[in-house]
Amino acid sequence: MLLSVENITVHYSRLPALRNVSVEVEEGEIVCIVGPNGAGKSTTLLSISGVLNPTSGEIIFDGQKINGMNPEAVARAGISQVPEGRHVFTTLNVEENLRIGTTVRNDRAEIEKDFKRVLETFPVLAERRKQAAGKLSGGEQQMLVIGRALLTNPRIMTIDEPSLGLAPNLVDRVYETLTELRRDRGLTLLIVEQSSERALKSADRLYVLRSGEMQLEGRTADLKDGEKVRQAYFGFEEGTAQEGEVAF
Amino acid sequence: MDFAIQTIISALSFGSFYALGALGIGLLFSVLRLINFAHGDFITLGGYALIVPSSAVVAIALIGGFHPVLVIVVIVSFVVILALLTYFLIFQYVQNSSPATMMIVSFALGYTLQNIIVMIYGGRPKAVNLFPELTGQVQLSDGVSVQILQLVIIAVTWILLIALVLFFRRTRAGIQMRAAAEDFRMARMLGVRGKRLIALAFILSGALAGIMSLLFVTQKGVLTFGMGVPIMLFFFIATVIGGMGSLVGAVVGGYAVGIASVVLSAVLPEDIRPFRDACVFLIVIIVLLWRPQGLVLKKASQERV
Repeated sequence: MLLSVENITVHYSRLPALRNVSVEVEEGEIVCIVGPNGAGKSTTLLSISGVLNPTSGEIIFDGQKINGMNPEAVARAGISQVPEGRHVFTTLNVEENLRIGTTVRNDRAEIEKDFKRVLETFPVLAERRKQAAGKLSGGEQQMLVIGRALLTNPRIMTIDEPSLGLAPNLVDRVYETLTELRRDRGLTLLIVEQSSERALKSADRLYVLRSGEMQLEGRTADLKDGEKVRQAYFGFEEGTAQEGEVAF
Repeated sequence: MDFAIQTIISALSFGSFYALGALGIGLLFSVLRLINFAHGDFITLGGYALIVPSSAVVAIALIGGFHPVLVIVVIVSFVVILALLTYFLIFQYVQNSSPATMMIVSFALGYTLQNIIVMIYGGRPKAVNLFPELTGQVQLSDGVSVQILQLVIIAVTWILLIALVLFFRRTRAGIQMRAAAEDFRMARMLGVRGKRLIALAFILSGALAGIMSLLFVTQKGVLTFGMGVPIMLFFFIATVIGGMGSLVGAVVGGYAVGIASVVLSAVLPEDIRPFRDACVFLIVIIVLLWRPQGLVLKKASQERV
């Protein structure tokens, strides 16, 4: 197991945001965590990257306990996160943004090779190399942060809502890129996604998280009809919306 | 005309000095959100390090008596070490607190440093004659003569500005610092070592303060324990009107404040001249009413949605 989150509980001040959540990711897998707003998806990823500290439970990466480590140490251990809202450095140009990705590395020759490779994978970034990243469109920024995360040469990349704020055709393009990266470089991916359909299409395995608790876990191949996922996602069967709740 | 040239050079030299000070503050603010009110006292301490620690009336040169190159190296290193110590002993424990808390801590540190000076050196002003050859005048053309020191201040400032621009554009640490200034958490998530970077900001800020100690003491010729306080106020105002968090803004703000001070001294009627600083502050208020975000808009805030 490359990454295993074991029964973590996370509190925001005193409110629990996650209760006994476990997630496992095997090398080379694409795993999706889906769930509605406020389910605790981002909290899970931020705990993995060391930004949040679980009050109980453990996070094991490649046999090493990483909870309690600071974000830079986690990044250096080989986990690269693309957080929600992308977080490009808007005042830096595209190339400088990518260069920040190489902070954790010292293998100059390999860095240059990877740098070229990223520009080949994302030709739009090569075109705009010297432009301030803040001037890029949302889709271009998404490519930039994925490229930047790739340049850390991660063993696993975690991505928080890559589709947020993007037009549907761009979302397709992003997921295409991600599956290509897995195919070509054996990249392991842990993706947080709001759309369960998208997750069913792209992932090998899927977790459904709601209200801070894990509702369902399984291989996407076994969940293809989507009914179980929907129930887990919304917490009620279709057509039985409770009073005061909006039926989907 | 001659008077105009002299005023311009004087304004540029004042502005340069304020720009350096504002940069020292801006560097720490950009990565740490700390407004370091002890910055002026770092400058004061750099000056006191020149003389033998004693409360005697007549100051005896200590480091100040070394070879000029050595004076520069030792004083700058001294202030850098002082700045680093304040980070590791004090500021690192409040670096996750609100900017207001950090600012109050820096006030407390400033007063502590001033009182340490009084304890060791006594409260009386001390005359110091540093780099006397720089305080002479140089003839630029017929009738126009300016103090050599003013030209030195302008030159030193521009050398440092160019060095800083190269550092921020060309070096890995510089690019990391710009990234961290914009989004510290994201930078750390990409492996940028937070503490090391903040320590580097303290080193740079301390080095600027050290250089300013030398320029300031050469110009004033006298040491007082509170001499860093009024200039710190101007540095702070310069960073605010330039735009908090923007280093270009700090430089622009420094020049704006320095030039305004000198021009006002030159053009204000005799009777109002003693209130020059009040007039400068009045202009500051007007500028901030007009542009509350500061003169230089950060690129981040023009972000395309």
